[in-house]
This record gives sequence, C-alpha cells and structure tokens, in this order.
Amino acid sequence: MQDSVVLMKVDDFLNWGRKNSLWPMTFGLACCAIEMMATGAAKYDLERFGCGAFMATPRRADLMIVAGTVTMKMAERIKTLYAQMPEPKYVISMGSCANKGGPYWQHGYHVLKGVDEIVPVDVYVPGCPPRPEALIEGLMTLQKKVANERLLRDKWVKHA
Amino acid sequence: MLNEIANFLTSNVSNSSAVANEAELGDGHVLVAPESIYNCCKELKASDEFQMNVLEVISAVDYSDRIEVNYMLASFLKNSEVILKVKLPKESADAVPEIDSVVSIWKAANFLERECYDMNGINFRNHPDLRRILTPDDWEGYPLRKDYVVQKEWHGMEIDPEDKINKGDHFFFKKVVEEMDGDEKKVAYSWNGEQ
Repeated sequence: MQDSVVLMKVDDFLNWGRKNSLWPMTFGLACCAIEMMATGAAKYDLERFGCGAFMATPRRADLMIVAGTVTMKMAERIKTLYAQMPEPKYVISMGSCANKGGPYWQHGYHVLKGVDEIVPVDVYVPGCPPRPEALIEGLMTLQKKVANERLLRDKWVKHA
Repeated sequence: MLNEIANFLTSNVSNSSAVANEAELGDGHVLVAPESIYNCCKELKASDEFQMNVLEVISAVDYSDRIEVNYMLASFLKNSEVILKVKLPKESADAVPEIDSVVSIWKAANFLERECYDMNGINFRNHPDLRRILTPDDWEGYPLRKDYVVQKEWHGMEIDPEDKINKGDHFFFKKVVEEMDGDEKKVAYSWNGEQ
C-alpha cells in the first residue's frame, strides 16, 4: 500500500467497516440459543464474519438475534431492549417461533405470533432450530443488506 | 402400601374418608376428602411408619364438573412414594374452588400451589403469597381449564392475529372428531377457533 491511493465512496467505506463488525446482543430465548452458541463457538466460528463479539448490553450492540420463542411476557422486554440499542440497528429473527409462532401458532396462548409484530425484522432464518450454517447464511444476507445501504447519502443529499 | 396408608389416614384423621385405588396400569392413588388434606399431609409427614418428608409435585386436572388435585409425596428415608388425590367440585365454569394450603408443612408447596392457582384456578387458603407465577399478573382466565378461551390482546399485542392463523389446519381436528364418532369431548383442544 506504500505510495498508493485508494479511492472509494465514504458510504462504501463506512459500510465495509459496519458489515464486518456487526456486534450481536447476547440474547437467547429458547433452544435456538443453543444453535446460536454453537455458531459462535470454535467449529462454526462466527468471529470469521466479525460477528462474534456478543455484547452483554443492548447499548453496545448493532444486531439483535431473536433466538427462540417470544412469549407475551418477554415481548415487552424485547420492545425495551430494542429501544435501548443505538441506531443503526438490525434484527435477525431466528427459528420458526420468532418468525411466526412456530409450534405455538394456534394454541399457544402465551406466545407472540412472530417477533415482527413488535420490532422490524431484517432477516428471517427458518428452521426449528436452524442449523449454524443457516444462521451464518442469514448473517451474510444481512451483511449484503448493510453493504448496500447509503446512510450518508440519505442523510446529506436531498432528492438522492 | 396404598392400603396401609389409607388405613393409617382413616384411623388418624377423623374426616379423611381415605380410599386406596390400586391401578392396573400406572400408579395407584389414595383418594381423600378435600377438607382433610392439610391434616392428612401433616400426619403422613409426622408418622414414624411413613415419614413422607418430600413433596414432589402438586398438579391439578380439570374435568369440567370437578378439579382433581394430585399431591405426590415421597419419603427419602423409607424409599417410598404415594399419590394423594383430592376431588374438588366445581359449581360453575368460572368458579374458583378452595382448598387448604400445605405450605406450612413443606416449603416446596409454595411455588407448586402458585402454579396450580395460575393454571387451573384453585384458591389455596392460608397461602402466604398467592400470586400468578407463569403468566403475567394481569392475565385473564386459567389456561389449563378445558373451557379456557384466550383473551384477544394483552398490553396492545394481539394474541391471535387473523392473518397469522392458518384456518386450514382446523381440518385436522374436525377429522379427529369424526374418528371419535363426533364426540368433541374426546378430543383435547381448548381453543376451538372458528367453531
């Protein structure tokens, strides 16, 4: 890189940094959390994608992986946690329960029928629970989405 | 074992009217009168012969006209178990039957009785802290009752949104009802959707 110049859009540069350092929140609700932990552990190694730094507080996280059954009681807490995350923030809905209620879709009086009822979801990962490969696929899809965002342009250039 | 316990309760607790029911399959039980449950438990724990020092489970089952409460007692000293059963009559669908609490005998009964209250709607007299334990405090109804119908929404969140309920799968239950000669009571489902 000596004596050379790299030219790129500021947005691209920021997105490159953001997409390769998506910090998820430590947030497991049910059995999907076991798969999420497996994804973070040595064999599948989420850190390859810069996504392995599970933060213990929503205030330092970019990404909420809703891994598991969202009960009505927990739904209120999820609303609070989502509000506490700094912008820009992303949500991956992991597993059938978080997507649409899963096996609790009809008689689950205590289960929210999909986390998209309360927070906006960027990527849905199907499965019960999804294998680590599926979660990594979901994460890479989210990375593509982040890479194509134009935060600065949308903020500073009118009628872009 | 069951007969010995029934005889013991009959002789030691005046109004227990204990009956031993041996089961051909599974576990037998000792049926006792609802108003005597506290004394029965107390005597079984205190007796040298049985020494029921552990309360394993309190569980309740709704049978529409009555609620059955099962107390599973165990003795770690004598290596034995027994199930005490109580039949609480239920006058109407939303009646809340009453029974004595056994928290003062076993501390373990505290959460178990709260769960029974939460899920089946049984009022335990003299319980130190009878609140809902699993569902939210302001929940309506008792979910494990046969005639339970879930509320429409809770804190602004819709529980069964129209667009997310797959109506087609009611076919499965209709088919099961047909196989049971049209007797709906033989099919266990609490929320009967569009019917």
